Amino acid sequence: MSEGQRFEAQVLPHLDAAHNLARWLLRDARAAEDATQEAALRAFRYFASLREGEDAKPWFLGIVRNCCYTALARQQGRLEITGLDDSDWDHATHAAATPEPGPAQRLAAQRERSAVDAALRALAPALREVVVLREFEDLDYRAIAQIAGVPIGTVMSRLSRARTRLKELLTLAGFGQPGATDLKP
Amino acid sequence: MNDDDISRLVRAHASRYPADERLRAAVRTQTALQSAARKPARTRPSLVAWLAGLGASLSRVPRLQRVSPAGRLGGLFGGVAAGLVLGVALTLGVQSWRAGPATLGDELVAGHVRALQVGPLFEVASSDHHTVRPWFQGRLDYAPPVFDKLPGYTLLGGRVESLRGTPTAVLAYQVKLHKIDVYVWPDARVAAPELLHRRGFNIVHWSDGAMQCWAVSDAEGGELARLAAAWQAAQALQNAPPVVPATSIPSS
Repeated sequence: MSEGQRFEAQVLPHLDAAHNLARWLLRDARAAEDATQEAALRAFRYFASLREGEDAKPWFLGIVRNCCYTALARQQGRLEITGLDDSDWDHATHAAATPEPGPAQRLAAQRERSAVDAALRALAPALREVVVLREFEDLDYRAIAQIAGVPIGTVMSRLSRARTRLKELLTLAGFGQPGATDLKP
Repeated sequence: MNDDDISRLVRAHASRYPADERLRAAVRTQTALQSAARKPARTRPSLVAWLAGLGASLSRVPRLQRVSPAGRLGGLFGGVAAGLVLGVALTLGVQSWRAGPATLGDELVAGHVRALQVGPLFEVASSDHHTVRPWFQGRLDYAPPVFDKLPGYTLLGGRVESLRGTPTAVLAYQVKLHKIDVYVWPDARVAAPELLHRRGFNIVHWSDGAMQCWAVSDAEGGELARLAAAWQAAQALQNAPPVVPATSIPSS
């Protein structure tokens, strides 16, 4: 099996996860495609650094994450992206948490989707990425820690903070309240 | 709401963004280009070496059979013949090497630069393939594929350029501020995408089994690879037979 074939078999199946992570981190379709492509190229170039038997998914998603953060830093150089302090995002948080008043005939599912999307988008990137990796990719704490380059304890505390924040935002958006469309039937 | 509710809400309602086919194709093309760049093609030199080896072994054969004057005469002829074979092989080999991608790449870059300097970059200016494609009728003995909806790439128009004495279709595209010339001519050879560099210009070559396509530009190789991928995706879409009649698409 040539290196190209091994790459195709081990890395390319995770392209969906890669693009999803990039799209959620960068919040822009074109930028996410660029970052995914760049990450795939880098992964191919450094494919030899993936150890025999090592799971390619966290390894590849770690590269994707790095490419995204580089792109984010380029986009908004003044923000301390990787910092744990997400006060910079607070204003965005409240702006985004209120769901847009759509036309009456809009389906409830679409409202829920846009509310959850808005809440997730409003999280600081460091919190958003752990949620995306945990909830969409079902990765365990160890894998997420490897991708984000932080200790496992940090992953757990970030996930907990992210959930607390999401809860605030979703409550603000009307979830979990009497008469809300979802959650408590 | 507890953590499990949050988790369930996110899993149930948040948008997911899988990689689409175009992105997948672009990644495949780029990795193919990378591995091609890693292993420079050696087919032609090794063919020459093989022919040279054949020539050498031919010239050795008669020497082993030095039995009679007739045999010696045969040996002489054999040697001369081997020398001829070797000479012809070397000449052909060198010619095919020089006529290979190297010189063609130079010619394409020269054409591209000439079009940029003195023009015209396009003789038919249109971003609509329904205008550009018919324009080639009567100017060429083939109908080049024209794609005007390659995401990120604007079709500027087309022109006919004489390439090695043969009228050849050239499509001009623009990505950001870079002009891209795509040379298209019919040739059934199938080739994996390859990336070449000539005097600071990037050239990407690909083929679909019917046409040879060469994109020349000062845009970076990745942009050209993406163009190649988008082109191939559009081509595949065009070649695919329609499956679902438009009327049966649910209106929701």
